[in-house]
Amino acid sequence: MEVTWEIFVLGLVVIASPLALVAVLGTTALIGKPLSESKTQNWTYATTIIGLIAALAILAMMLADDKRYIPIELGNWVAIPDQHFHFSLKFVFDRLSVPFVILSYVLCGTIGAFTSRYLHREPGYLRFYVCYSFFVLGMIVSSLAGTIEVLFLGWELVGLSSALLVAFFHDRKSPVRNGLRVWSVYRVSDAAFLVAAVALHHLTGGGDFGGLMGIGSWPDGIATLTSEQAMFVGLLLLVAAAGKSALVPFSGWLPRAMEGPTPSSAIFYGALSVHLGAFLLLRISPILELSLILSVTVVAIGLVTAIFASVAARVQTDIKSALAYASLTQVGIIVAEIGLGLRYIALIHIIGHACLRTLQLLRAPTLLHDYQVLENAIGQQDATPTAAGGHWTPTWLRERVYRFASERGHLDSLIDSYVVYPIRRVLLQCDAWERAWTDFLSGTQSRESDAVPVHDDVVEELRL
Amino acid sequence: MPVQFDLERLRETIEHAAHLLPAQGPITAFVHHNTLHAFEDLPFKEAVVKGADTFGCHPYLPEERYRQKLSRGRILPEDVEAVLMEELEDQGDDLLGFFGTRFQLRMAMLAHPLRTGTANELRWIIAETDALTTVREEVPSNLRDQLLAGTTRWIMRDFRNGQARNQKGQRIRASLDPLFELFDKQNIESWSEATWESFSLHALWIACRDGAMQCAVQSKSHRTYTRHRDLLLAKTGSDTDDLVHDVLIRLTAAFLDQGFADWTLPSREAGLYQAFLRLYSDHAGVTDRWTRGLATEARRLIEAGISPLESIDESLQMLGVEEGQEQVFIADTLLALRGYAGMIWQLETRGDRAARQIPPGSLVEFLAVRLILDRTALGYVAREEFDFTGALNTLLPQLRAQENKGTTTSVDQRAFEVFQLAQVVGWLPEHLFRLSADEWTQLFEEIDAFPSLERRCIYHLAFERRYRIQALDAVANHCRRIASGDTAQSPNKATRPSMQVITCIDDREESFRRHLEEVEPACETFGAAGFFAIAMYYRGAADAHFTPLCPVSIKPQQYVVEKTVYSFAKAGQQRRNRRRIIGTVTRHGHNSSRTFAGGWLAALLGSLASVPLVMRIVFPRTTTQLQKFFGDFVLPPVLTNLHLERTQAEPGPEPDQVGYSVTEMAAIVERVLRDIGLTQNLSRMIVLCGHGSSSLNNPHESAYNCGACAGARGGPNARAFAQMANDPRVRELVVANGIPLPDDSVFVGAYHNTCDDSVEFYDLDRLPTTHSSDFEQASDAIQTARGRNAHERCRRFYSAPLSLTDQDALKHVEGRANDLSQARPEYNHATNALCFVGQREWSRNLFLDRRAFLQSYDPAQDDADHSILTRVLQAAIPVCAGINLEYYFSCVDPVGWGAGNKLPHNIAALLGVMDGASSDLRPGLYRQMIEIHEPMRLLFVIETTPAVLLNIMAANEGMDRLVRGSWVQVATVEPESGTIMLFQSGEFVPYYPSTNPLPIRTTSLDWYRGWRDHLGFASISADAVSNDEPVVQHLRKGH
Repeated sequence: MEVTWEIFVLGLVVIASPLALVAVLGTTALIGKPLSESKTQNWTYATTIIGLIAALAILAMMLADDKRYIPIELGNWVAIPDQHFHFSLKFVFDRLSVPFVILSYVLCGTIGAFTSRYLHREPGYLRFYVCYSFFVLGMIVSSLAGTIEVLFLGWELVGLSSALLVAFFHDRKSPVRNGLRVWSVYRVSDAAFLVAAVALHHLTGGGDFGGLMGIGSWPDGIATLTSEQAMFVGLLLLVAAAGKSALVPFSGWLPRAMEGPTPSSAIFYGALSVHLGAFLLLRISPILELSLILSVTVVAIGLVTAIFASVAARVQTDIKSALAYASLTQVGIIVAEIGLGLRYIALIHIIGHACLRTLQLLRAPTLLHDYQVLENAIGQQDATPTAAGGHWTPTWLRERVYRFASERGHLDSLIDSYVVYPIRRVLLQCDAWERAWTDFLSGTQSRESDAVPVHDDVVEELRL
Repeated sequence: MPVQFDLERLRETIEHAAHLLPAQGPITAFVHHNTLHAFEDLPFKEAVVKGADTFGCHPYLPEERYRQKLSRGRILPEDVEAVLMEELEDQGDDLLGFFGTRFQLRMAMLAHPLRTGTANELRWIIAETDALTTVREEVPSNLRDQLLAGTTRWIMRDFRNGQARNQKGQRIRASLDPLFELFDKQNIESWSEATWESFSLHALWIACRDGAMQCAVQSKSHRTYTRHRDLLLAKTGSDTDDLVHDVLIRLTAAFLDQGFADWTLPSREAGLYQAFLRLYSDHAGVTDRWTRGLATEARRLIEAGISPLESIDESLQMLGVEEGQEQVFIADTLLALRGYAGMIWQLETRGDRAARQIPPGSLVEFLAVRLILDRTALGYVAREEFDFTGALNTLLPQLRAQENKGTTTSVDQRAFEVFQLAQVVGWLPEHLFRLSADEWTQLFEEIDAFPSLERRCIYHLAFERRYRIQALDAVANHCRRIASGDTAQSPNKATRPSMQVITCIDDREESFRRHLEEVEPACETFGAAGFFAIAMYYRGAADAHFTPLCPVSIKPQQYVVEKTVYSFAKAGQQRRNRRRIIGTVTRHGHNSSRTFAGGWLAALLGSLASVPLVMRIVFPRTTTQLQKFFGDFVLPPVLTNLHLERTQAEPGPEPDQVGYSVTEMAAIVERVLRDIGLTQNLSRMIVLCGHGSSSLNNPHESAYNCGACAGARGGPNARAFAQMANDPRVRELVVANGIPLPDDSVFVGAYHNTCDDSVEFYDLDRLPTTHSSDFEQASDAIQTARGRNAHERCRRFYSAPLSLTDQDALKHVEGRANDLSQARPEYNHATNALCFVGQREWSRNLFLDRRAFLQSYDPAQDDADHSILTRVLQAAIPVCAGINLEYYFSCVDPVGWGAGNKLPHNIAALLGVMDGASSDLRPGLYRQMIEIHEPMRLLFVIETTPAVLLNIMAANEGMDRLVRGSWVQVATVEPESGTIMLFQSGEFVPYYPSTNPLPIRTTSLDWYRGWRDHLGFASISADAVSNDEPVVQHLRKGH
């Protein structure tokens, strides 16, 4: 398909503006000349607005020319004809990516404006914006990705910047620990993604979604895989999506991610990051169609997540956890919609949900004020809260349901007890063997680090 | 029965420990408290140390911060000297042999930072930094030259050439010999200066280490751990509190929840303990590894019917808590999750403030649950980390036995302190080598006797001293000018003022009043506690409930209701219905957006949310204006009135019980007028101004409201007072009681929003037409003054350019108040440092930089018993001290005593805030609120005599405790004579102010223009020629 140079330039601008922000913020910080608050702010505004305008212009041109598929190719970087392997940098503007790009720009821009005042005079101001710029870049790259490798690139940028922002307040223990937890879950999902990408290459000789989907642009493409192949790749990608979108059984990290400053929680876990898994499923939706088992699995995981999250949301006593589970409920429904093949509805759902949840999370600190206003308007306090599962259920069931919801579905316990703990035991055992062996060889205690106390003594400034 | 006696004692122990918990109640009614209220019976200096030890927080700012203040001139060297001299009393001049006097040694230790670290860190510093090659940069060049010259001379004389004559000499030689190997000994004569510098420092370091090794001083032992968790953490690095708190926070928050969660905790009504046991007695699904066994334990406790107290007793025995240790153990255990424990105790003891109450004894139940979880987690971690299989009560002795005792100060640490000190004092290696072991011991004892904590204390006192001197000098100076008639600013007592404005004593109203007096020199202003003596339960036309509008210490008797005026009753009803419908719909929308189906629907329409989202954030002020425009369709009609007069004898919430009797009203009016000394020369227009604050994105919003209204907005009090004082029947009674209230004096109520600096007036439709022009004049002055006030406030906001005009400043503060993303809507009481109690004429036109509470009081009108001063101080001292001390502690340790950083705050259970996803509740003030505060104890300057004040203190125990315990600083002033007496160490001593003139400026703007930081005092005088005081120039230059 021929692409006019105007569209090519606009497409480049869409991708290059977040890249420029990364370069400016990152380089100045690296060479020890960090930008001031106002300059950081201006660069952020400028790049976001330019990117957004370019994206809108492309949308307008696509509507005017009734084009559905605009590829922007930036070269074939690796080609091994013998192995039928090639790696090309390719971006695609179509009916899925354009709305997603515009959504990303609007929400990120709003959050950028919000944060410039919210983090005013905060020591980590620039650090936030560096992570933020990586995040925007990641979102744009993954939205526009025309090949699975490019999608993986954006996916990783989003994952890394999200985990770093969870651990934004690294002088306290729990943000760091929770950030690490988010990161660990992301690694699992990334591994699945990578395996899927390799498999796709193996099966189709390239990572292009275009080639994979055969004829027709999104959402009308028809994949060229067999049913078994589709199921294999699809299940791997489903694991990847489940990790990123906190679907069951990975849901435990989502409420834990509410450690960063409020705007970063809003954008990442309320709006964009959490929908990226659903986006991946949308992107590969032609594959889902090929295998019934796969589609059923996607619907099942989506529904289970939605039901679990809506139960868990009911017992949360703090606003951010409640919103995290509310978010998850909708993500679950979206995934189920995708499994059912309702692609446009899922897309509308994602966009609407992202906007709504961002607003709600940004307003979260105003909760007490808002409750007061509502209470005054209604003239009384809200009706008394209900018992878990309704009044008609027997006590034991109520307690069980409540316990289940309060323990967040035991999902973290499940992972900790049956995955983390056994692995850790094995590693510790190996470590013990190694120690015994090296001690034996050196004839003495071989590890100096053993002698270092876990907590060193207190310094004078704190001594009383 | 002995068991019951024990349990009763246990309960008392727990309740005793409960007093250590934070006293902050639900955040929706934020009341400022002295953070260390538990230690208020101790003197301040002892209390902060004890508090710091108990809570693990800092008692003062870090030394570094004080040193910054020293370098900026906020502390002068003479302050440090004076304070140190005073603290040392007669021991300052004790000679310490070679080291000079004790005073000199301590001054040297104060003058420059004495860096220290862990033994490993110091070893690194010695090995890897330039500590041994370059003299500290703080060392003056003459001392450096002296060190180099002295060492060179000594080495060349005694070591390069010459022989060791005695044993000591040989020893020195033996220590120095390895050093020569590091340097090129052959060419010693051609060593460069840098080489000699390095060599001298190496020699000095060896001398210090040598001395430290000879020293026999034992360092103080550390605090001993009482909880198993602390020892286990130190030993293994695994924190059982992480495990326990994960469960406990969820459970406690669900138990305390005031209506946020959709589902309530099952068996909540049976109490926390029962709810916990029932919930966890079930072997439900997969549980965390460490909680295995909990279900069995919970079943056992249920089946055996063990009460919470019995369970605590049992847990203490299982844990092997030693006899006599249980008090500390229980206190430390409760303090481990102090925010939630404190909230339980507050709700338990002051349940009237909460929508959903909790049964008494909940704190005991909380402790019982906590100990059950504690022992489960301890057993698990000990088992996992070091295969501990014994009974839990043997864990503590075992951990104690293995406790790392190596926490005594090491030789390196000691030596490093002297090494740094030697450089700044100019001790040479030669001299140090010659010291005897006894002398070394003496030196180390002296150094140990003046640790960082003591140094910070000295600095802090010096910091307070500087401000106190500046303030008292300014007061003396200003009073002298006024008494000598040097200023024509104040309205002449003989002429009638154009208007009189009564505001709250709040420090934020200081600048508002000052600007008003500058704009309208013929006006007078007064300060009274912002509830204007009207203690009432108030319900506005659009409010759901009655709110108490009075200080927390008072329980109101009367109720007041705001009603739409009769002719608008129908419209009012319609709008109330609209509000209710919109409210109900919003509420449902809000809740159901978090559910399955409702959320689905909401999310499909969610794209619409992008409009308010973007608007709110990008154009906050316009959005609010739009919202107001549409709000007019639902808000109650503007015309309302207060149902203020009672027809029945007894007050109550029922319609005919609402309000006050005429006699009660007269008593209130008379009391306020007498308190502030407004009993003659009343003007035609008297404005009462209550205050409050509104902001978005601020869980602590209520902390910004009027302190005298218990964290609510004080507008209705001003309105009610004006209505009372305008009532002819009331005025008749007031006049009969001896206050000549002219018939043409009209009172108008107003409300000042300290965040967006708006002022709105009440009941203007009742204003007599004869007073229209008076009101317009007053209103114009107030409009101008609020613009100027906003402008002065903006100098403190870094995001507001210094070049703003008054109008831009108003827009700026309006934007702040309505901005979702604003973490600092206003600075609240930050920088408060002073409280004046006396006639305004003495503080009028004195630039106080929004740092002073101003209570009006006229001693001439007081009776022989000083009952007016007594009641004024009974309110002012505890309230202002509470605000000041909360700011103090939140500021010196924002993480320990304050609420930490606001940015990750998360509202929990509608009661308080947590950090991020899950943490303890965070009482206190958050960091953005106190960032410009300067922690110092409030200085009261009271227009009275020491004798009167001592009498009042003697009769008021609470006040006496605060003053004698030095929780506040107190000075009395007799302005006519200029006598100032300062309360120090239990008595009033005369203060001799300096005679340096104060800087004089024509307007406040001339003084504060272009300046963001702290500003000193200045006289504002429209007709005077500006002078510029040298000291102040120095200060301004200092940045």
